[in-house]
Amino acid sequence: MSTSTAPAQLLASDAILTPEEKMWKVILRRFRRHKLAMISTAVMGAILLVSLFAQVISPFEPADLAVGNYFLPFGARDEATGLVHYLGTDNIGRDYFTRIIYAGRISLTVALTAVLISTLIGVAVGAYAGYYGGWVDSVLMRFVDFMLTIPFLPLLLILSSMLLRNENLIPIPEPILRISGSVMLLDMRDARQAVIIIIVLAATGWLQAARLMRGTVLSLRNQTFTEAARAMGASNGRIILSHMIPNSMAPIIVDATLALAGFIILEAALSFLGFGIQDPVPTWGNMLAGTQTYMFDRPWLPLIPGIPIFLCALAFNFIGDGLRDALDPRLKL
Amino acid sequence: MTGYLLRRILQMVVVLFLSAVATYALLNLAPGGPMSGLRQQAQSTRFRITEEDMIRIRAYYELDLYLPIRFSRWLIGQPNGRIIIGENEYFPNMRIGCNQVIEKEVLNSAGNYETQVTGCQKYIFLRDLEGRRTSAGVLFGDFGASWRLNRDRPVSDLIVGRLPKTLLLMGLALLISFVIGVPLGIISAVRQYSKLDYAVTSFAFFGSAMPTFFFGLLLIMLFSILPKGAGLPYLPPGSSEAVRNYTIPWLGTITAGSTLDRGLHLILPAAVLSLAYVAGWSRFVRASMLDVLRQDYVRTARAKGLFERVVITKHALRNALIPFVTVAVFAIPTLFAGAIITESIFSWPGMGRLYILALGDYDYPVAMALLFITAVLTVVATLLQDILYTIVDPRIRFS
Repeated sequence: MSTSTAPAQLLASDAILTPEEKMWKVILRRFRRHKLAMISTAVMGAILLVSLFAQVISPFEPADLAVGNYFLPFGARDEATGLVHYLGTDNIGRDYFTRIIYAGRISLTVALTAVLISTLIGVAVGAYAGYYGGWVDSVLMRFVDFMLTIPFLPLLLILSSMLLRNENLIPIPEPILRISGSVMLLDMRDARQAVIIIIVLAATGWLQAARLMRGTVLSLRNQTFTEAARAMGASNGRIILSHMIPNSMAPIIVDATLALAGFIILEAALSFLGFGIQDPVPTWGNMLAGTQTYMFDRPWLPLIPGIPIFLCALAFNFIGDGLRDALDPRLKL
Repeated sequence: MTGYLLRRILQMVVVLFLSAVATYALLNLAPGGPMSGLRQQAQSTRFRITEEDMIRIRAYYELDLYLPIRFSRWLIGQPNGRIIIGENEYFPNMRIGCNQVIEKEVLNSAGNYETQVTGCQKYIFLRDLEGRRTSAGVLFGDFGASWRLNRDRPVSDLIVGRLPKTLLLMGLALLISFVIGVPLGIISAVRQYSKLDYAVTSFAFFGSAMPTFFFGLLLIMLFSILPKGAGLPYLPPGSSEAVRNYTIPWLGTITAGSTLDRGLHLILPAAVLSLAYVAGWSRFVRASMLDVLRQDYVRTARAKGLFERVVITKHALRNALIPFVTVAVFAIPTLFAGAIITESIFSWPGMGRLYILALGDYDYPVAMALLFITAVLTVVATLLQDILYTIVDPRIRFS
């Protein structure tokens, strides 16, 4: 009697018949199931498109003053050019619709860039601290603890007021100003303000991302696949780049999307309190603050810029929620 | 435990000192400050600010002292004159500031003229500090005098005058949000995926996405402007009490400063703050409750045949509230610091508004006092959180 250790022959019927799905297809399918996230994506897409084609869509220039045409009602026609003020004009005769659209372009650019920068810094610092530990880790964690003792909004206000009042405190290279200026349709002087707000938001925002990344890397570091990679002779840099970072992307992406909502509101709040981007440049926050005085007889003036802020914040919240379901269902609470 | 507490308190002191240094430096290192604009005025003939005036003004804001000296005077009220121990005077010739700087117009690389400080005509020594107004130091509870908002009056007067307003508003908002938010979170976790759960979670999304300033304006519009225009009873849109008597339909004439008047003024700002807090708390409690409901001991309790009500209240809820209790501690600094944005919309005369005014007007003693007190309260709350952890959850021990 001989016992055979050879594997049984695989029959054709044993083969797994369900075709293997690509990972992004699975993610997309799960994301589609979240109806509110899909609606939010459509809304955000529309808002992004409108701000992308701001110059084509808007009938006027954002800084054009129509002398004497203050507080025109909705749909008023400009006599000289025959163009329509869809949302009327504001207290100094600027077309409100045009300004809302340009403001969207600026607010979204500020929020997106700030999130991008703070996430990149956070991922780099968090991965390093979580993987190597040691003094970098303890310095980072002490620093985070320390930053948490300083109240957040007051700190943000100090930073932005200090940087905005002293233009030369942080030298910003001219190419950056030119590029960001052309993205936001601003001249270099006004672009500096926006860049400063981006710096302020990113400088305070990366801490959260760094903490999250550190936590994820700490748990990944001790898992078997990391050990296997190390056993196969992978260098630390390779392990971080091709194992730690890809595997912690799910919480990081979700967190970044939620941070987008937070930054849109924060930027508007800074402008609203008078410590953000200043008036001739339109942002949703400073349009709301600037027309607040007229709310007793023309309440639509301060309310209109609030609507896109709310919509964007809500949409990014839902998209973040949908992404959480799609990327890693275990994260769902 | 005692050793742990001692170590923690030592750490707290270090963290507080660092945060005091950091905030002081942030405010004071930036150019400009309270002197901004004076230089242009000095050059115009209309105001006739002489060199002596500039020296006097610089001395008023202590800008003629070097930063470490200024910081030490702010923190502990020292040095405030000659240092004499026994018979000897120490450091009589140490330069601690400059009374009159030598400035030179220099052509910089960009081709513009800029003013550079190149030297000092008259240095300040310790003996010159005698006769200057010196506070006892922030550490000893003396926050000095306000520069602008309430010129030369103690900062503590400003704070004491405004603190009750903030405590009232924040206390009420926090109370409302605890009373509503916690039960909402519990119910929506117990009935997960029910209609109510969807309603609560949607509400939480709505509340966290709604910017305070927009919601505030919306409420003013809906409950103040529109009903007033329509001749219906309305709520006052701003401030904490009226200056003159006013009439509201159905309610009649309301005496300015009466309890009813104050109550009416409180409703809108408290509602705005409560929305954000209720959203946050219900989300938090729901998450922690769901986490607990999945635990084995809850299943065990059910398997023993306990009533569902007992399982929820005795076994699940008590454990779910552990993280809640420790997070709720951070309401302490919030109670003091107030809500900057909400107070600004409703021109509520509280601490948040005071901070904005101080920052906009370069009244640094006031801004620093608020930041410092808030930082102290935050650190104390952190310690309290750790202690509470060991009390409500005996599994955790610190050593």
